[in-house]
Order: sequence, then C-alpha cells, then structure tokens
Amino acid sequence: MPHIGNQIQGDIMQKRIVAQIIIIAILMGSLGDMLVTTDVYDDVLERIVTVICLSCVKLEPRTRLDFTFDTATGEPHPQFVLENLSKGPVFLHYRTDVCPACDDMEPILHDVFNVSYDIREGFHKTILFGDTSVTFIHINLDHTREKKRESFQIYDKDNINGVPMFTIVTLGYHPAFVKPYYATGYGFLGQENPEDAGLVIQDMIDDASTTYHQNRDGYTP
Amino acid sequence: MKKLQLTRLLSQLGFLGIANLGAVGIKTGFCFPFFYCHGCPYASGACPLGTLEHGLYKGHIVGQFLLFPFFILGSTCMIFGRAACGWICPIGLLQRATAPLAKKMGKYSFFKKLGNSSNEKYIRYVKYFVLIALVFLTTALTGFMFSDICPVGMLTGTFPLLILHPTSFTPNVFFPFALSIFILFIILIVLVGRGWCRYVCPLGALMAPFNKISVLWVHVDRDKCIECMACVKICPMKIDVLNMYRDPECILCGKCITICPTSAIKYKVT
Repeated sequence: MPHIGNQIQGDIMQKRIVAQIIIIAILMGSLGDMLVTTDVYDDVLERIVTVICLSCVKLEPRTRLDFTFDTATGEPHPQFVLENLSKGPVFLHYRTDVCPACDDMEPILHDVFNVSYDIREGFHKTILFGDTSVTFIHINLDHTREKKRESFQIYDKDNINGVPMFTIVTLGYHPAFVKPYYATGYGFLGQENPEDAGLVIQDMIDDASTTYHQNRDGYTP
Repeated sequence: MKKLQLTRLLSQLGFLGIANLGAVGIKTGFCFPFFYCHGCPYASGACPLGTLEHGLYKGHIVGQFLLFPFFILGSTCMIFGRAACGWICPIGLLQRATAPLAKKMGKYSFFKKLGNSSNEKYIRYVKYFVLIALVFLTTALTGFMFSDICPVGMLTGTFPLLILHPTSFTPNVFFPFALSIFILFIILIVLVGRGWCRYVCPLGALMAPFNKISVLWVHVDRDKCIECMACVKICPMKIDVLNMYRDPECILCGKCITICPTSAIKYKVT
C-alpha cells in the first residue's frame, strides 16, 4: 500500500512540475514578448521613473518665479515656442496622466484661460488678455512628441523634474538685444491651494505681458 | 548554516544598492520585484504598485502598466515564491534592523498577547484589503492612490528628496497626513517583528499566493523533527513552521533552516 501512495504522490509531483513549467513559460514569454514588441520599457522609464509626480511625493517645490534668459539645459528655446512668441507671451503647462496635483490645477487653468480640452491630448490656443495675446500650450508628457517632451527639461529651471510645471515665456532685454525670457513654477506655485495658485498664474501673465510690451519692438524672431 | 543568513544580508544590501543605481546614472524601465519608491532621486526602476496604479488611475485602463509589473512579479514569484520579501526587499532589511527592538517589545504582555491572539491570523488579511481597496479600487474609482499615503514612499522617496535638496522643496498639504501614516508604520515595525510584511504590505499580498505553486519552497521533514519548536520561536513571520506546507506567509528567509538542530527543514525545489 505505501508503494501505491508513493506512486500517487509521484504523479501529483510530476503534474505540479509540468504546471509550474507551463506557468513560468507563459509569464516569462509574455514578459519577453511585451519588452520586444511594445514600448512598455520606454514608457515606464519616461512616464514613471524619470518624471516625479510632486503630489505623490507629498512635496511642493519652493517656487521662485524669477524670470531668466538661460534655459535649464543650455539649449535654445524650442521652435514651437519661438513661433508663437512673435504673437505674444507663451504659457506652457506640463502634466502627466497620473498626477493628483495636476488634476487639481486643471479647473483653475480652464478658468484663467477660458479653455476646455482633453487632458490626454495636446492642446494650444491663443487667448486675448487685455491687449496681449497669450498662447496657452497644454503638454501631457505621457502623450506628446519628442520635441515637446524635450522642452520640459529645457524649462525645468530648478531641476525638479516634477509635474505639474508651468512656464511662461516672454521677451526680456538682454544687454544689447531682446531675447526670450522665461519663468517656471511647480505644483501649487508655492500656494496652499489651487485657487491661490490661480492668482499666481494671473500675476505671471500680467508680468509677462508688461515685459513683452516693453521689449517687443526690439525683438527679431 | 549561519552562512545562509550572512548571504541573505549581503543580498539585501546588494539589492538596496541596485535599487539606487540612479545615483550613478543608471535608470531603467523595469519594475522592482520589491517595495521601493520611484520617487527616490536615485531609484533605478519603478515601484510595481505605482506602475499598477498608473494602469488604473481614475478608471483609465493602460493594459501594459497593469501587465508589465504582473509579469515581472509573477515570473519572480513563480520561481522563488515570496523570497523577495526576505531576501531582496529594502523594507525587509529595515525590519531586520528593527527586529531586536520588536523582540524586546514582545516581552511585554500586551504585545505578547497581540502576537499570540487567536485573531492574529485574521489581521493578516488586512494586507489583502489594502491591496484590493487602496491599490486597485480607490485608484480606479476616485484617483486616490495608495502611493498618496504610502509610508515606504515617504521613507524611500520623500525623505531622500528632502535630504538631498533641502532648499528646493517644502512639504505640501498631503504631507502631514502621510507623515502620520509613516509614524504608525515605524511604530508597527518597532512593536511587531515584520509587522509591515505580516499585516499591511500590499505587495506581499500580491506575492503571497504564489507560495502555493512556486518552484522554491521550505519543506519540513516531520520524520526528522524532534518538535523542539526552535523554528516556531525564531520565525519572523510567526508561522507555525511545524505544520506549514507552502504557507503564503513564508518569506523563505531560512531562519528556521538555520536553527533546526536536526536539519529537518530545508529549501526544496519542485
């Protein structure tokens, strides 16, 4: 009788091994296939590992909305910004899909700029603020072209690498000539809530408009 | 046999280093098969739970972010079971460091009672609740993620960022709430040995069922056992080692193997 018991146990063991091999083959095969045939590796790297969701890490960058001429990477301003800069200041809004603070800021931006768009898609619109045309550009880093993605690093003045990030590009007088001049803020722009951050955005637009009007005559695109 | 525990310590330290390879510029698009926050400025990969949350956020399903961590964890756990908790997880290493304190605390009657309570086995189900409710359901339905209050994220993401860039950041409105959870986490691991792994860790909950079918597992040979109970006493997960068979709680740390005087407990591959 013990012999029969051992045989049954052996059969179960064999079936278990076969099942284990099949499951491992399926899981590893699927993983390998996914890595080879999809962009999942790049997506995880670019959308999750590289960009910090500031609200997820429970931090607010100490935003200093100082205007500067020097881009964060030393690269020139992107073409899509320069193209719009001849019309007026350019406001860039960067976010990712998964970002509660970005979600909190959306209604504020919709109010300030009087716009409506799908957060997962690129969007731009030129809006009149008094006598100044401001171009609003919404960039979701998870769904954007490489050039626009690169602009995130270019304007990440404080090297925070986090979203939400807001940049306003205007014109400033650099010794001898007029150049693009920008300020970048993050999160709730140093405020306790999105509503107050909205007021800061309004101030950013006002400051940028004033500077733009002072310098636009000397600007050659 | 003490060599086994030294090897485990080296493995834990080694993987802590691997998790922080971002410090030398190595950042990858892989998910860790253990708990570590990609918010850490030096993180070399993504948190598997954070990736799952990206795949579900506010009901917007991104299949690849759901399947990718599952395939990585599934492949690892099918072979090694829940060994990642005992051998490579930095939070496991932290709890290894707090274990002597927890052991001292265990001498006080209240904590002893808590550990030996007949309801203790039910408290272990909390981690499954955390996984289903906070990682999957609230993320998908409301956008509230476990990451928003994750104490491991606080420890390995928020604090390193604050330490490395003390002038760049200030705590935001969610910080006090997350800090409270973090303090509870510290209290838990100081009062109860492996308290995080046993009761709360949602990643452990995801890995635990694989122990039932994994290739590597811990086998107890009852014929050799002299019932000295040394294994039961030393088990950091407080498992009834004598009667265990592919226990989902076993983290394959090998402490029972190390202490068994008759070598009745061994790793087994099938």
